[in-house]
Amino acid sequence: MAPNLRLNAVAFISPQNHPILIRTFSKQDENAIKYHYIAHTSLDVIEERASSKSSECYLGLLYSMEDVAVYGYITPLKVKIVLAAALTDAVVRDVDLNMIFKALHMAYYSAISNPFLVLQDPASAVHDSSRPLLAGSPKWKHLRRRIDEIARIVGNSSNTSTGG
Amino acid sequence: MSSRNSLPVPSSSSSVPPHLAALAAFSDPPTRHVDGAMMDYFLIETVNALRQSSKIALTREREREKEMIEAGLIPPPALPVKDTKDSAVSARDSTGSLASTKGGKVAAAGPVDEEEEALKVRLETIGIHVGSNFSERLCRDRGLFTETLDAIKFICKDIWAACWDKQVDNLRTNHRGVYVLQDNSFKTISRLSSWQGRPDAVRKAKVYVSMPAGIIKGALARLGYNATVSPEVTNLPQCTFQVKLPKGS
Repeated sequence: MAPNLRLNAVAFISPQNHPILIRTFSKQDENAIKYHYIAHTSLDVIEERASSKSSECYLGLLYSMEDVAVYGYITPLKVKIVLAAALTDAVVRDVDLNMIFKALHMAYYSAISNPFLVLQDPASAVHDSSRPLLAGSPKWKHLRRRIDEIARIVGNSSNTSTGG
Repeated sequence: MSSRNSLPVPSSSSSVPPHLAALAAFSDPPTRHVDGAMMDYFLIETVNALRQSSKIALTREREREKEMIEAGLIPPPALPVKDTKDSAVSARDSTGSLASTKGGKVAAAGPVDEEEEALKVRLETIGIHVGSNFSERLCRDRGLFTETLDAIKFICKDIWAACWDKQVDNLRTNHRGVYVLQDNSFKTISRLSSWQGRPDAVRKAKVYVSMPAGIIKGALARLGYNATVSPEVTNLPQCTFQVKLPKGS
């Protein structure tokens, strides 16, 4: 486990390339918009990675910018999860990131299983399910809570490993 | 059927370092199972409840239509055919049912068939919701889908095994986008019988299989294939689902 793996932001993008949720954990609020930009630019990289090297969900390091390293994950249902972590020289294991991504995937799954999330004609919801559920919608409250929980766990583990 | 626990419990038997145990619980939630007999009882009650609610919704729609005719807003129908204004009214109408959808296409047949259709549409909608979300859960450990046949095989094996404890008995295709999935003893209708005899049991079974058809349709829709699924029951407990994928997929 990399003891100084700090998560800066996580972004969920729907199969139709709409942003579902973009959540930042860093303290500086004025840079929060840059994670929207990061999520947007990751889409191109994800598309070229997912089409060539197929049958693998975890896409690894997509690219790295000034101070963040961006990792990507695409589920078989084409939901993309983008993780921005603070750039560090320490070794970051793939298996740890994979577990974080799976935890995020499960959080998304349990949030989206809510039958009251989309109260409209379900036939259209099936084709374009994230149209009324764009980023910032209050209905994603439970997903936000779960993601905060996951980030807390990852952050806590870094605290405990340096202590003991 | 299995569903996710609401509270993740850290498992002590995982092979991850202890400070990541809580994260492991999040990433690998334990599956919960639904008792098979309870599922049968639940389905019976669901169908009854939805039948009542679709009846109420249809009577409400007919009353509204009658009011509009009397107010002169729409011309009185010469034949019992719905025109566009009625479907606009019905789309805005909110029903009190769990599926919260209006009855679908209404045929020009009698009111009994209308109610059956509305009931089937409600069941299928519930199935769509269950199927799409459950396939998210099942896709946790596998990689991306390589082609259409891969997705159909995922349905035949994983979804069938998770929902109905077995796998599809026969899969046929015409290689032009039509697949036929056959199950020789389909769990949902295997215990169905009617005191009015076999043909009535088959007729009632047609209602019950609309939810599994919805499950398949929802799972395929989430995978990106907008298919039409039509279930057929000819003799209990055998059931076939015809999946028609659109051209080009």
